[in-house]
Amino acid sequence: MSLEFLNAFKFMKKDTFLHKLDPRSKLIFAIFYTILALLFTQIIPLLIIFLSLFPLILIGKLFRQWKKSIRGLSFLILFIIILNTLFLSLSFAIAMIFRILIMISSFSIFFLTVDPNDLALSLISMKLPYEFAFSFSLAFRFVPTIAIEAQNILDAQQSRGYEIHKKGLINQIKNLFPLLIPLIICSIRRAFNVAEALESRAFGSTKDRSYYYKIKFSFKDWIFSLYLLIVLLFFIIIKINISSMPEFLMWSFPL
Amino acid sequence: MISEMSYSYPNGTEALKNINVNIFKGELIGIMGKNGAGKTTLIRTLNGLIRPTKGNIYIENENINEKTIATISKKVGIVFQNPNHQLFANSIEEEIKFSLKSFNQTKEETQNRIDNILKEFNLEKYRKRSPLNISGGESKKLAVASIVCRNPEILIFDEPTLGQDEKEMEFFINLINREKKRGKTIIIITHNTEFSYEHLPRILLMSDGEIVADGPTQKLFENESLISTASLVLPQIRQLCIAMDQIGLPEAIKLNSREKLINYIQNFLANNLTKT
Repeated sequence: MSLEFLNAFKFMKKDTFLHKLDPRSKLIFAIFYTILALLFTQIIPLLIIFLSLFPLILIGKLFRQWKKSIRGLSFLILFIIILNTLFLSLSFAIAMIFRILIMISSFSIFFLTVDPNDLALSLISMKLPYEFAFSFSLAFRFVPTIAIEAQNILDAQQSRGYEIHKKGLINQIKNLFPLLIPLIICSIRRAFNVAEALESRAFGSTKDRSYYYKIKFSFKDWIFSLYLLIVLLFFIIIKINISSMPEFLMWSFPL
Repeated sequence: MISEMSYSYPNGTEALKNINVNIFKGELIGIMGKNGAGKTTLIRTLNGLIRPTKGNIYIENENINEKTIATISKKVGIVFQNPNHQLFANSIEEEIKFSLKSFNQTKEETQNRIDNILKEFNLEKYRKRSPLNISGGESKKLAVASIVCRNPEILIFDEPTLGQDEKEMEFFINLINREKKRGKTIIIITHNTEFSYEHLPRILLMSDGEIVADGPTQKLFENESLISTASLVLPQIRQLCIAMDQIGLPEAIKLNSREKLINYIQNFLANNLTKT
């Protein structure tokens, strides 16, 4: 198994419309799409919302990375299908899969197109205290580091006979311990090291800071945000009037 | 045997280029080269953690490309740089037990193996202690023990001398000598030229994914330009011999071990002190 899918959340500098947008408009995008995903429990509206993400994925030239993030979730998707089909229904299981796909895809697009440094600046411009903004961008910056670490842990365990693909759900869950425990411990140790390194460089000693780079909410950001608002309102109206909407929107599997 | 093996990362970067090398059973060999030369990638191909994009790897005439990592890991054990990447169990004893899980041994056999390995690595007194509550040197020892207990034919160490104090170094040197006597093939990745010069008979020097030199260590260290291209420094013994040669001491350049150097200086002082 490769843990390469975690790289699907790693920022990659590209010259596209999506990459040039202000991080705040992309944050609005991720939040709005999460709200949209939580708004419906029917397959068709969720499918339409999911499909509406594709133009953005193509504009941002993100298809390969996005595909990796979805492939990495295949185990979770299988888990959702089994549990929901057993306890609820197949239609609800598929709707939940679309829900999770929308949320993962929108945040994957956000992380792939937002530079961690710009993210901190945008959070500060949203009046968030510098310490919080910095911690958030630091956590974001460490995602690829954790991905590399997870791969190293997997290699080290496999080198002493650890088999990740064992049959049975219980075995699969048990099998996560040799990976998760070292990963959590290494992450905690790194957090302490980073905190000490920051303190030794006088982090937080002065309240007011000046910034070398400045970010700007441009005209195209306003247009993009307006488009997102229209999409959100459109689906909210559908949700409110769902009973009077065409029947195909309520379609579900006969099971 | 590695035959015409190449490896490219999914993004297309060529990490290993046409590697051809024969490593013999029972051999002790070092892999050196600057960071990013492809050393770790090469050892990861040796137990199937990554598969070559071209070429084949044979262990005892068997092509390992068709075997699973679990099968290969019984023959090839890699001790990685950071011991914290593998320690997770509640106790040191459990940690070793985890390594022995795939062998289908009886309870007694497993317990005997654990007892022997803890004794061999002087870890008996920590048996019930958590692997997270031992010193850095001891966790490195435990990581090595958890691979050695599997009794693989080929033992690979990635930077084993990094951050080790003198006593730990001594323990490691004794360990590789012991394992060599048991007939194990040992491959060591290192930047430590002092250690290589004194303890490794053969070196593979890597640069940009290629093996640029393969031969006896002492011969390799005679080629200063090759050593500097690999971002390595000459070992102190070699530097001293060169300095002695430069001030005109006869035959000094040919000295290639600590013992020979000590003998040479002792003889030189004895002769010159007698004359004066």
